[in-house]
Amino acid sequence: MAARRLLTSRTLIGLPGGLPGLLPGLYPGLLGLQVSRNVGHWNKDWKPKPYPVTPEERAEAARKYGLRPDEYEPYADDGMGYGDYPNLPVVSAESRDPYEDWDYPEHRRNFGEPVHVDFDMYGLDRINASQKMRFSMQQYALSFFGVMAVSIGIYYYLEDKKMHWPVLPKQYPGDGAVHYTFEPAE
Amino acid sequence: DPGPAAGVRQLLVQCKFPSKMGHVYSQYLGDPAVTPDHTKGPTFDPLYGYPGGRKERVMIATLEEMESAQLPLNKRDYCAHLAIDHRACRQRVWPLTYKCAHEKHTYLNCEYADYVLRLKEHERERRLLERAKRKAERAARAAH
Repeated sequence: MAARRLLTSRTLIGLPGGLPGLLPGLYPGLLGLQVSRNVGHWNKDWKPKPYPVTPEERAEAARKYGLRPDEYEPYADDGMGYGDYPNLPVVSAESRDPYEDWDYPEHRRNFGEPVHVDFDMYGLDRINASQKMRFSMQQYALSFFGVMAVSIGIYYYLEDKKMHWPVLPKQYPGDGAVHYTFEPAE
Repeated sequence: DPGPAAGVRQLLVQCKFPSKMGHVYSQYLGDPAVTPDHTKGPTFDPLYGYPGGRKERVMIATLEEMESAQLPLNKRDYCAHLAIDHRACRQRVWPLTYKCAHEKHTYLNCEYADYVLRLKEHERERRLLERAKRKAERAARAAH
């Protein structure tokens, strides 16, 4: 219960409503010195706990994030994980029902709903990863690389086929060869 | 190399396209065998077809003069002496460079004559290539 309240208060403050918190963090981010995203005001209590090993730790972590133990699955603990933060299925905000009465309509999310690790990427103004694309990825790849291959092929094919005036190269006296005019020799 | 141009060439030959089109068309889509290579010099003997010989081109500016004038390498051609004169005139009268009109026009006329000579060399090469092709075809016909 307390953990859930902490979760929602983090999302409330971490969103663009926490603009005063964003400004000091933006400058090092623009310079590329900052490698972590900005969530505005940060509290150390919000940091996920270490990866849960025992079933009791897993149950406690699932309860903390508002999930059932059977649907709770953390990221793999291979050094690139997020501790005990759950690995949720990606459903972008744009793909959610626009007519449902959400608690937070600008995020299409209800109170207490677990938030994806990359939720700032899947918002309404960002990527819709769950949309049905018109063509398959193979078709997209074929179109892109086909156009690029044709362009590059045309470039390299025409590289030695140049427009030019109907003249032979300029004659320089230092070549060692004898050059003639078109007048008869006296 | 034949390449895709061969197909286009065959199509145009079937349409009875005139063969005396521009040099670039002739080189890539027409007949490359009778088109001179604009990156290389003449391939035939320069005195071939001139029983009276041809006058040689004379270099008037010496290497010491060109080096003394610090003439750029791409201007050390058969008009270099006029280039040096023009540059000397400019160096005397600058910024009233309009006073060097005579030297400038002498130099540019020499450069124009040099360009016309390059055009003539290209045309001579083209006619000799066509003649060689005709001779080869006549020889091939006589062989049958």
